[in-house]
Amino acid sequence: MENSNSYSPYSSSSVDSTKPSPSESSVNLSLSLTFPSTSSQRETSQDWPPIKPRLRDTLKSLRLRQRGYNTALFVKVYMEGVPIGRKLDLSTFSGYKSLLENLSHMFDTSVICGTRDSKNHVLTYQDKDGDWMMVGDIPWDMFLETVRRLKITRPERC
Amino acid sequence: MDRAIKLQLSTSEMNYFPDEVIEHIFDFIPSHRDRNSISLVSKSWHKIERSSRHQVFIGNCYAISPERLIRRFPCLRSLTLKGKPHFADFNLVPHEWGGFLHPWIDALSKARVGLEELRLKRMVVSDESLELLSRSFVGFKSLVLVSCDGFTTDGLASIAANCRNLRELDLQENEIDDHRGQWLNCFPDSSTTLVSLNFACLKGETNLSALERLVARSPNLKSLKVNRAVPLDALTRLMSCAPQLVDLGVGCYENEAEPESFEKLMAAIKKCTLLRSLSGFSEVAPICLTAFYPICENLTSLNLSYAAELQGNHLIEFVQFCKRLQLLWILDSIGDRGLEVVASSCKELQELRVFPSDPHDEEDNNTAVTEVGLVAISAGCPKLHSILYFCKQMTNAALITVAKNCPNFIRFRLCILEPNKSDHITSQSLDEGFGAIVQACKGLRRLSVSGLLTDKVFLYIGMYAEQLEMLSIAFAGDTDKGMLYVLNGCKKLRKLEIRDSPFGNAALLADVGKYETMRSLWMSSCEVTLGGCKRLARNAPWLNVEIINENENGRMERNEEDEREKVDRLYLYRTVVGTRKDAPPCVTIL
Repeated sequence: MENSNSYSPYSSSSVDSTKPSPSESSVNLSLSLTFPSTSSQRETSQDWPPIKPRLRDTLKSLRLRQRGYNTALFVKVYMEGVPIGRKLDLSTFSGYKSLLENLSHMFDTSVICGTRDSKNHVLTYQDKDGDWMMVGDIPWDMFLETVRRLKITRPERC
Repeated sequence: MDRAIKLQLSTSEMNYFPDEVIEHIFDFIPSHRDRNSISLVSKSWHKIERSSRHQVFIGNCYAISPERLIRRFPCLRSLTLKGKPHFADFNLVPHEWGGFLHPWIDALSKARVGLEELRLKRMVVSDESLELLSRSFVGFKSLVLVSCDGFTTDGLASIAANCRNLRELDLQENEIDDHRGQWLNCFPDSSTTLVSLNFACLKGETNLSALERLVARSPNLKSLKVNRAVPLDALTRLMSCAPQLVDLGVGCYENEAEPESFEKLMAAIKKCTLLRSLSGFSEVAPICLTAFYPICENLTSLNLSYAAELQGNHLIEFVQFCKRLQLLWILDSIGDRGLEVVASSCKELQELRVFPSDPHDEEDNNTAVTEVGLVAISAGCPKLHSILYFCKQMTNAALITVAKNCPNFIRFRLCILEPNKSDHITSQSLDEGFGAIVQACKGLRRLSVSGLLTDKVFLYIGMYAEQLEMLSIAFAGDTDKGMLYVLNGCKKLRKLEIRDSPFGNAALLADVGKYETMRSLWMSSCEVTLGGCKRLARNAPWLNVEIINENENGRMERNEEDEREKVDRLYLYRTVVGTRKDAPPCVTIL
C-alpha cells in the first residue's frame, strides 16, 4: 500500500486506485489528511468532497444510527456577555480538541480549557446536577453523558 | 439578446414614441441581462429603463452599495442578492466573512422602496433585519432564503406576524437557530394568501396544530415543504386539507406505519391529482415511499437526495414509474442498475443530480455509481442538459461517449470522490474525456472538473468552451499555463473558482483587465503569494482583493508579512464601491 505521507496532489503519475479493504480503511482516512484542508476538523475532511452541510449532516447521522450510536446531542453555547447563544451538536466532535477548535472558529476567538485568567476565554459546562464545571477534567465520553450547557467565560479583569 | 439588438436598430424610429410606450415595450423584456443591454443604447433609453426596472439581480452584494442601487432603480420591487462565494458551501469561508443583509434592508426601508420580493443566497441575515423587513414594506410578498444563516425562528415570527400580503416563505438549506417558539402561530388568522411555504431545513419541533390551521385557511397554497418534525398522521391531515398542492416536501416518518394510518395517507395522496413535485423523505421507512405510487406518474420533479435510509431497490421500484420526470436528485445508492432503469423510464429527464451516500469511502460497498450509469443516462435521456454526478471512478471512453450522446449540456459537473484519480482502465489523465465534453457541448455554461488532470484539459477548455460562464477546478493542472489557457480562452467567463491546484502569480497577474469582465475569482491552497496579490491590488483599483487567513489570532501579523508567503485563500471581485468596511479580522483587503 502506498505510503500516504509521500502522496502529493500535484503529481501527474497515476494514483493507486485499488479500493482499500476494510482493514486499510484507516489508511484511506489518513489520505484525506494530506490534502491541503483549511478546516479545523481533521478526522475526516469537512471541505471535500464538495457537498453541502445539510447533506453532510444527514449522512453522518445515518452512519451513527447504523452503528447504534445515539445521534444528535444538542447543547446551547453562550459567550459571556452575548445574549444570543448558539446551538451545537456535540456528537459531531471526536473530542475536546475538535470541540475547542470549532468553538474558537464559531466565536472568532481562542477558546481553551483550563483555569480562568486575564487573557483567555475559558470553556465551562453545566452538568446534569446543575453545577458549573471546567471542561476537560473528565473523559470525553463521560462528558457527553453529563453535559447540559456550555458557557465561554470572558477573560478575567484584574 | 436578439430582441435588444433589433430594438437598438430601430431606436431612431422608436424615439418618436412617448416614453410610456417605450416603457411598455421594455416590459416584455424581463431578463436582467437584456435590460442591462437596453440601458446602454442611449441616454433616454437608460433613463426610461431605470425608472421602469422592477427586478434587479445582484450577483455579488459587495459589487455595489444599496444607496447606489436605489438611486438608479427607484422603482425596485424585486431584489436578488448573493453574498458569500460559492465555496462557502463547503466550509472554506469563515462564518463571519460578510454578506450582511442589514445595510440593504436599512437603505431600502429609509428610501421607502416598494419592495415586494427578496431572494438571498449565502447572506448573513439577522432577526433584526427580518423584523425591519417585515415592518417596512407593506406590499411584501415573497422571501426566499438559500444557504443563509444568522437568524432564528424569532425572525421568522416577525415575517409571519407583520407581512400581511405574504405569499411565499421559502427556506432552503439555511442554518436557523430554532428557538422552538411558536412562529407558525404568528401568522394572523386573517392570513390566507400563502402560496408557498418551505421550512424543511428547520431542525426543531413544529407546532402541528398551528401548521394545520394555517394550511386549512390557505386555499392558494401550492407548495408545502415541512421539516422532520411533521409525522405521518399530521402529513395525512395536511394533505387532506390541501389537495391542490403541486409541490410537497415530506418530513419524517415513523419506522413502522400502522396499516390504518398508511391507508389514510394513501387516500389523501390519491386526492392530490395536481401534485408534480416531491422532496424530503429523510428518515423514512421504504414503505412510506410506496404510498406515493398513485401519483408518481404525474411527477415532474423528484428530490430524494436526503432519503439516506432508502436503498437502491426501493428507489428503483419507485422511479421506474415516474415516466414524466424532468428533474431527479438522488443518492448514489440507486447504483448503475438504477440509473439504467432511469434511462429507460424517464425519457423527459432534463436535470440529474447524483449525490454520494458514502462521501469519505468509509463503507465497504460496491453499489455506488460508476461511469456505466453516466453513459446509460446519456444514451437514454435525449433532453438531458444539466448534470451533477458524484462517483468513485471514471474513464475517458465513457466521457467521450457521453459527449457524443449529449451535445446539449448546459451544465456539466463531475466530481470524482478521490482527488487526482486517473482513468481507472487506462490509468491516464482525464484530459481527453473532458476535452470531448467541451468540444461537443457548444452551449456549455457551467463546468466542474475532477480526477487526474494536466494543463491539457485547460487548453481544451480555453479552446472550445466559448459559452462557459462558471468553472470549478479542484486538484488539477500542472503549471500556470493551465490557468492562463482558461483566462485567455473563455471569453464569457464570469466565475472562476480554484482549489488545491499549482497556479501561481504568473497566471494571476498575466491579464489584470480580465477580472473586470468577471464577477469573481477564488483561489485557495494554490501557489499565489502575498506579494503577487499585492501587485494585483495595486494594478487593479477597481478590484477588491481579499486574503482570508485562518491562523490562531485570525489576523495577519503585519510585522511578519512575507511577500513570499503563500496565500491560503484569495477572493477577488470587481466592484464600483471600493473596499468594504465590514470585513472581519481574518480578512485582509489589499
